[in-house]
Amino acid sequence: MVAAAVAAKNGKRVTLLTLGAGTLTIGGGIIDVLGYGDEGVPLATPRAGLLEVGPEHPYKKIGPVAIEESLRFFKEICAAEGYPYLGSLDEMQWVPTAAGTFKPTCLIPKTMDTTQLNSATNVVVLGFEELKDFYPHLITKNFKNIPGFQDKNYEMVMIDPGLADGRDVTALDVARWLDTPEGLQDCIKQMSTRLKPDSVVIIPPVLGTRPDYVIADSLAQALSCTFVETAAVPPSITGFRLRTMLLSYVKKLGVRIVEQAAVARSIVENGKCTAVVTDGIDRERTYYAKAFILANGGFYGGGLVAEPGHAQEPIFKLPVAAPEDHELWANPNLFSNKPQPFAKIGVAVDETMRPLDENGKVVLTNVFVAGRNLQGYDFCFEKSGNGVALASGYQAAMSMDREIK
Amino acid sequence: MQKATVVVIGGGITGVGVLRDLCMRGVDAILIEQQDLAYGTSSRFHGLLHSGGRYAVKDEEAGRECIEENAILRKIGKHCVEETEGFFVRTLLDDESFEPKWLAACAKVGIPAIPITVAEARRLEPNLSAKIQSVYRVPDAAIDGFRMVWQNVASARTYGGRLMTYTTVIGIEQSNNQVVGIKVRNTLTGEISNISCDFIVSATGSWSGQIAALAGITVNVQPDRGTLIAFNHRITSRVINRLRPSADGDIFVPNGSITILGTTSSAVKNPEDNIPSTKEVVGLLNIGEAVFEDLKSYRMLRAYAGTRPLYSADPNAKGRGASRGFVTLDHADDGLTGFISVVGGKFTTYRLMAEKVTDLVCQYLNVKTACRSAFESLVDDPSPELMARARGCFPSYGADLAASRLGATGLEKVVERMQEQPEKRQLVCECENVTLAEVEEAAADQTSFMLSDVRRKTRMGMGTCQGAFCTFRSVGAVDANGLAWGQDTKTLFQEFLQGRYKGIRPILWGNVIREMELSRGIYEGTLNINGVINHATK
Amino acid sequence: MKKHHNNPDSCTACTVCIAHCPVTAATNQFRGPKMVGPALERMRLSQEDVEPSLEYCSNCKNCDMSCPSGVPISTLNMLARAKLFKTRKHSKRDYILSHGEQAAKLAAMMPFGAALANMGMDMSRGILKMIGISDKAPLPPYARASFIKQFKALRQQSYPDKVVFYPGCFINYNDPKVGMDFVAVMQANQYEVIVESDLVCCGSPLVVNGFLDEAEANAKINIQILKKWTDQGIPVITCCTSCGLMLKQEYQELFHIEGVEEYAKHLYDAGEFLLELYDKGRLNTNFGTLNEQYMYHAPCHLRAQGMGLPGLELLELIPGLEVKDVDAGCCGISGNYGFKDDKYDIAMKIGAPLFAKLKESGLSTTISECGTCRLQIAHGAQVKTLHPMTVVRKAYEKYGK
Repeated sequence: MVAAAVAAKNGKRVTLLTLGAGTLTIGGGIIDVLGYGDEGVPLATPRAGLLEVGPEHPYKKIGPVAIEESLRFFKEICAAEGYPYLGSLDEMQWVPTAAGTFKPTCLIPKTMDTTQLNSATNVVVLGFEELKDFYPHLITKNFKNIPGFQDKNYEMVMIDPGLADGRDVTALDVARWLDTPEGLQDCIKQMSTRLKPDSVVIIPPVLGTRPDYVIADSLAQALSCTFVETAAVPPSITGFRLRTMLLSYVKKLGVRIVEQAAVARSIVENGKCTAVVTDGIDRERTYYAKAFILANGGFYGGGLVAEPGHAQEPIFKLPVAAPEDHELWANPNLFSNKPQPFAKIGVAVDETMRPLDENGKVVLTNVFVAGRNLQGYDFCFEKSGNGVALASGYQAAMSMDREIK
Repeated sequence: MQKATVVVIGGGITGVGVLRDLCMRGVDAILIEQQDLAYGTSSRFHGLLHSGGRYAVKDEEAGRECIEENAILRKIGKHCVEETEGFFVRTLLDDESFEPKWLAACAKVGIPAIPITVAEARRLEPNLSAKIQSVYRVPDAAIDGFRMVWQNVASARTYGGRLMTYTTVIGIEQSNNQVVGIKVRNTLTGEISNISCDFIVSATGSWSGQIAALAGITVNVQPDRGTLIAFNHRITSRVINRLRPSADGDIFVPNGSITILGTTSSAVKNPEDNIPSTKEVVGLLNIGEAVFEDLKSYRMLRAYAGTRPLYSADPNAKGRGASRGFVTLDHADDGLTGFISVVGGKFTTYRLMAEKVTDLVCQYLNVKTACRSAFESLVDDPSPELMARARGCFPSYGADLAASRLGATGLEKVVERMQEQPEKRQLVCECENVTLAEVEEAAADQTSFMLSDVRRKTRMGMGTCQGAFCTFRSVGAVDANGLAWGQDTKTLFQEFLQGRYKGIRPILWGNVIREMELSRGIYEGTLNINGVINHATK
Repeated sequence: MKKHHNNPDSCTACTVCIAHCPVTAATNQFRGPKMVGPALERMRLSQEDVEPSLEYCSNCKNCDMSCPSGVPISTLNMLARAKLFKTRKHSKRDYILSHGEQAAKLAAMMPFGAALANMGMDMSRGILKMIGISDKAPLPPYARASFIKQFKALRQQSYPDKVVFYPGCFINYNDPKVGMDFVAVMQANQYEVIVESDLVCCGSPLVVNGFLDEAEANAKINIQILKKWTDQGIPVITCCTSCGLMLKQEYQELFHIEGVEEYAKHLYDAGEFLLELYDKGRLNTNFGTLNEQYMYHAPCHLRAQGMGLPGLELLELIPGLEVKDVDAGCCGISGNYGFKDDKYDIAMKIGAPLFAKLKESGLSTTISECGTCRLQIAHGAQVKTLHPMTVVRKAYEKYGK
């Protein structure tokens, strides 16, 4: 969506073909730029980490200037949509998670700002009755093992969203409860009998599903407390908000979105792509364009397909390097101080974000690649998922603007 | 010091069968298992309750034993057995001349093999390839190994049976050529202790040689490794066998919501050799394709491997040649009284093996009680009233599954928990329909020390997402319950997910790699359970 | 997307469908698409049981559209529903709502039948509520003369280029003007429209209530008739997006009928077809200027067809016309779902953000291709509604004036 937004702002007529709603509601709405270096050493700042990335890493191809610009562009979107994010490359944000850990990230909604949390002596961990994927006791216990958090006093509070009469409850259900005026009032009422003013409160990400701070501000004002949302398992509410915000922005720019579009192949002439073809259940449809940005994800999203001993990019048939011996795809241990080889499999690109063959030559002059289908980084290990997506999406569109007339 | 009349070493199906039979005959017995129950072959086999058709040609006695025990197990363990029946299917690649030989052998042994047309077979099992040549129906069934092990234990417990898991035997104590006890080490705490006993039964499968060696005795068990693949859904509702001389990848077995394809065969030195290779997996898929043409497009869940304990008095007979029949070795013949090893055999004949062993032990102990293990059900059926209450508490498709797993006593406890605290009706595992109440019961059992132990009792984490969601929920539940073993949650996460990963790593492509990326995204990306936290307060 | 496996194999339990399901957002009684669809499907293959919340799925297709794994979630739900009704009786309510075609045909046969039937419907809302049809839902009245009747009375200009029009029950019995507008638009493009009066209900209302065998019987009839034309390369056009989805997609997902893949290639939505004419330079672009403003609502069943929003794009060609996409999700009615007494409130809750946005716009009329969407929008937002073909016809007629 960022790529589409950039292209549209540069005056292009953009069509966005998508199969599925994207994975933002899985991965979450915070922008991880870079949290860990090699060997799993935590970085002091994202900027420090960017200096250290290897030559294959997408950040190396994109370059520090464009990365910085992409963050600035993202913040412009947030400002325009009324949902500002905090953070910069010069500060690592350590945000709390539902597992009682902290994770390093870069840009966050203000509901995840931990400034007050860090200096607080008393912390409330607030859960909701029936809510399945949030365990205050787990969080409290694990916080007590974290340097700087061992000496705080913790209290657990439970609020009842009145959802006991239905299905198993997710954070999305609680967030939607708070979306309603009745729900918000009920919550404030319950909280006012349980929370003292000036408390710092850890809560699951339930401060509404809309990309704004209306609910967060209402609660903060009504109770004079600071609420800090945690990162949590899917469905991710922060991701939901981010997606809503980006969609709203790109639609305002006149980007045409075609849903349920399964792009199956491309039509290439003389090293240039002239069209892509979707394979619908009824028939094929051909979309002609001057340039194409491939941002359809990695193995998960379907942008890359894995077979025993090889991987492929199905639309443009771009070369993807993968070990023939499938035993080399994965470390013996799931978690270790090394990234996973299979996570780094992808398409090689140059600084223009165009795909390269085995000899380093550009394969298609008007195709640009962005996101997880890029080679050279393990976003789970180093905490760089949305950051690479943002920066590469931005750079792919900017580069396209420069290269394609 | 702990005491027992008989120590049974080995918590696989044979061991728990022996424990049960001994206890039913009034003998005081304790079972020692080095990891969790069914750690060895009993959790890594095909899940097939043999009609015997596979052994009819080469091993008549084994074939006969199978068909008889098959009928018994369906009665006593009816909640562990799914009456799926089986097909023997000949493909174009299979030698035609084997078919009449096989039919004759089945007839001789008494295994019904009824011919049906290919069209009819495909009507019953639409996924079967159109190219198959002939089909026969046989009384195969599917068996849930974990469940049968646990239900034997449940039965043994009602007769006073005891067990210790995560306990390994490090020495056999003898005096005057007579067994007096064993020395054990708790593998979780490192604590060493002694158990005095009059008798030791080693039902240790592929480890039989190692255990016997503790007493200086040689037992020639040759571990033979077999790899299997679990598929995400029921490709077939019947067992499908290849009608050819036994070879790799011959059998598909439905098992609850999944299907298992296996297996391979290779001699290994180490009984712990249970990591499948990608090569073996690809090999199995290539073979299985002849029966189910779309096999490679079906979603796999995991691959796993176990070792068959092949025994032969002749130390050089290997692989499928060595007998699959079983042998009871009375080591009085080797100079030590009070020590028996039972070796060889297969899951289907465990009860018979246990009966023979127990007969021998009882002879020594002068216990005259007759064996009743073939007549008494492993667990009681839940009453209609209990089932009605259960159906009111469990979500859809949950009550019968839990009833089969737990039996009447176990189900009663879970239902009570759900009735007292309705929030415990939540699903921890949405893929396999396992409720919080059941997870809590399983976690509180004295043999649960980690999440994988809970998994083996409940099927949590064994479905489509392979723990992507239920890991987090079960850590939360265990922590909330204040269980002693739930203190270090990072270890809980890692142990469980690494266990799942072990079976995923050899098949990391297609939808499996997608699920892995999702899991990593959640636990590493979002929850950062493994990362160093260098949180500097501002 | 060619081969729809009716198995839940690709599901990774990611929860994206849950996040985008409008019914899940509106009621906590529905256990959500992931659970009711692919998760329980694995159980259904080995157990008999009933999931009580299966009836909440409205078949709106938002789950299918959001799934990153290509799982046909709503199809799994529909098939599960059909399986359920093999051993369970249908309610009168479901029977009536699914067999609208039969009732309409009866009404059409009598003189003044439509008017009488409409009167009867108005008077009997109380009775209908007793059997489970909401007394508040916007049950559509019958038109005085069906589309087919009006079409037969029309004298069309004959042209070598032809299309077959599949009106569907709603246009035929309730909103025939849309069909006539479509014919006029095609004529303005020098196409002759063929109408086969033996075509039957596409089956969509039958499928959602578990009458799968009947839907399949209808499918076979329709395919047999339409194939005559598609085999000759003559396209079949629909103006109702639910009919379109059913004819070209769900017939493939739900049934195994010979030749269906081939025939589907020739099925078009009206807006889509006209846009393709435009791409080829064949479209009559003699549009008059319409200085008008409208809101546009994209039916879920249109979005699910993977062709974007052709109606909206087509309207952009009309000079002076301003059409804004309200972009507010599902209207809630999803076929006959919103007519059910126990689902009416859910349907209205689903559509509430849409109605609010339409009211906020201050524009009195909303354009949408789906007949039941139009009913629901008129009911919930108190605005007038139009089909794109009506506006296009108006533009043609305004030309030169």
